[in-house]
Amino acid sequence: MTTRSGVAITGVGIVSAAVTGDSAALGAFLAAPVAPPDTAFGAGALAALVDPDEARRLSRVCQLTVTAARLALRESGLERDAALGLVVGTEFGDLGSTHAFADGFLARGPAGLSALLFPNTVMNTMIATTAIAVGAREMALTLNAPTVAGELAVARATAAVASGRVPAVLVGGVDELDSVVEHELRRLGLAGERRGEGAAFLVLEPRATAHARGATVLGEVSAAAWRALRSRPWGVGRARRSQAIEAVLRAAGAQPGDVGWVYASASDDEPRDRWEEAVLGAALPGGPPVSSLGRLLGRHAGLGVLRVAAAAWTARSGLLPVVNGTAHVARVRPGRGLVHGLARGGAHVALLVDAA
Amino acid sequence: MKSVVITGLGAVSPYGAGLVAYWKGLAAGVCTIRDLTLIETEGFRCRIGAEVPGTPAGSARRTRADRLAIAAAAEALADAGLGARDCRAAALVVGAVGGGMLEAEAWYWRGAREGARPASVRAVRAMLPSAHAETLSSRLGLGGPRHTVVTACSSGAVALAEAAELIADGVVDVAVAGGVDAITRICFMGFNALKLLDPAPCRPFDQERRGMSIGEGAGFLVLESQARARARRARVYATLAGHGMTTDAFHVTAPEPEGDGMVRAMTAALRAAGAAPAEVQYANAHGTGTPQNDRIEARALARVFGEGGLLVSSAKSMIGHTMAAAGSLEAIATVLALEHGVVPPTANLVTPDGDVPFDCVPRVSRAAPLTCAISNSFGFGGQNVTLLFRRGVA
Repeated sequence: MTTRSGVAITGVGIVSAAVTGDSAALGAFLAAPVAPPDTAFGAGALAALVDPDEARRLSRVCQLTVTAARLALRESGLERDAALGLVVGTEFGDLGSTHAFADGFLARGPAGLSALLFPNTVMNTMIATTAIAVGAREMALTLNAPTVAGELAVARATAAVASGRVPAVLVGGVDELDSVVEHELRRLGLAGERRGEGAAFLVLEPRATAHARGATVLGEVSAAAWRALRSRPWGVGRARRSQAIEAVLRAAGAQPGDVGWVYASASDDEPRDRWEEAVLGAALPGGPPVSSLGRLLGRHAGLGVLRVAAAAWTARSGLLPVVNGTAHVARVRPGRGLVHGLARGGAHVALLVDAA
Repeated sequence: MKSVVITGLGAVSPYGAGLVAYWKGLAAGVCTIRDLTLIETEGFRCRIGAEVPGTPAGSARRTRADRLAIAAAAEALADAGLGARDCRAAALVVGAVGGGMLEAEAWYWRGAREGARPASVRAVRAMLPSAHAETLSSRLGLGGPRHTVVTACSSGAVALAEAAELIADGVVDVAVAGGVDAITRICFMGFNALKLLDPAPCRPFDQERRGMSIGEGAGFLVLESQARARARRARVYATLAGHGMTTDAFHVTAPEPEGDGMVRAMTAALRAAGAAPAEVQYANAHGTGTPQNDRIEARALARVFGEGGLLVSSAKSMIGHTMAAAGSLEAIATVLALEHGVVPPTANLVTPDGDVPFDCVPRVSRAAPLTCAISNSFGFGGQNVTLLFRRGVA
């Protein structure tokens, strides 16, 4: 998919261990980045953000989702019940509820099954609760992918807005740390990467619409593309040529040298990270500075969306948070940058982000 | 926007592997819902479902759902006459819900019952619905845009709508799209817990209906731009002339009582196709057999098309609710109904519900020269999709 867009970002909402709030909160964090000791979002912090009735009714990952979505909508100035599409990317969905549902049966047989938990075993439970919370009645897509679910959601939402099929899209990514998955990754010796949890949302709408209603434009997704790079399932491939990056550059009428900096999906999964470095090196021979926020926040689908919001901030400020042992902020060329995602199995996304 | 046509079909259904078996079973009104054998059913009120017979072809190292998907997608590509070169830039959109959960459950159950389970990358990976797309992409060499949509029971239909948009917007000229799901314990137990399963084979639109029956399968279609299909003189089954996707924003499991979201999806599909309601002769209904769904769907159909305005039937009466595969298998049924001029029946329909003001084609298929039909799919979370097909090249 390739989209030449002119799609404006008018709202940001983030719930994570390191930063919670809107674009201003994100900017403050990125300007002085500090990795939290634990990437899990504290129960007390979540309770402070969520309405008690929703806290009772919604699973934890749904609470994260609804909270971040509302923050983004509030910053955008759009009202509840606006003509909104929804796109949410997730890697594991509400796996905690799935375990709880299964454990009920394993403990007590059919009598132990919870009819309330069952709907949460389907990955679209987060988007269903969010649609109800914000009154969104247009298309609603839950996209599942390893590593790049957040970036993929933003790319798909950009296409929806650019095509004119929906007036605006609330797009997010969300995941929570799951004890079973973490345990299995440790047993398999695959726990090298820093994993995290949280939700991040953006409001996307046509630039002209945003200007017409007087909204603050935080940045633009100028072009978006996603492709499959050849790989075995769950594997790391050898393909270097990125048709996704080529496609976004072509759609934006840009050259590789126009990309001033990159937010990549590096997360300390070393074979995957080396593959991504090779792909970026082949596509952008000038070697622009590359950042990944994975070491700060831990990899989760929300991080992919947060990277796009961070890219809008970098495009405005000319500052790029970099983590090499310690976190610091580098000065880069303001303006155009790339958000890049590449997953084991070959899911591959490129987004060009510009200042407003 | 480019016109989108259907040039290839592939199905693995409770009738077995292949399109021929699928259509033969549907047209004959054969109900495949019987005692489940894949999973334990002891202690449950409902113990039946529609399983794909035999062992799916392919390596036992792959999940059952992956094998169903590979067989259906490969059949669709072969049916379209497409080869490896055509696949390199083709899009792949997969609708999925359960992923390889059948195998992941077995692994998880083992840990709970035996106190230990082997460390397994496959078990962790199998939980993800996106595993099917990775497998299909690798196996069939599909290198274009690829994504996996999870919209509960409408996933297979959403995948087709997504692929149609990629072609209509000029991003690709060819896409492989569809849905897949194998029967899983969690799905079976969950619908039992919700008391949405009929202990007898489901009876959509019957006054005595008591719920749905679960099923499994895979349905994949090849979608192409009309220009490309014409240039290579491909056989065109139908034109996917329009689609509509909406959300109820009402309740996580229950549809909005007036069917507003369904009406908006059907209306959007008509508008996209430039079709008047009177042009549509047949609706392949979501038709789950639950009292609530069928009543609300019938109300929504009547609001859009008028009472008695078209023939309505439900494939779920024969193959059960195949979850993420339902939308694409039922789209295939709709396309084949247009192709053959035959409306598949609603099996097990004995006493039509007086609140359903349509001829629901009870038990025996009906010859009908069709030119335009819709396929409805709805899912948990209020996710509504309508696909509108026209026979041949519109």
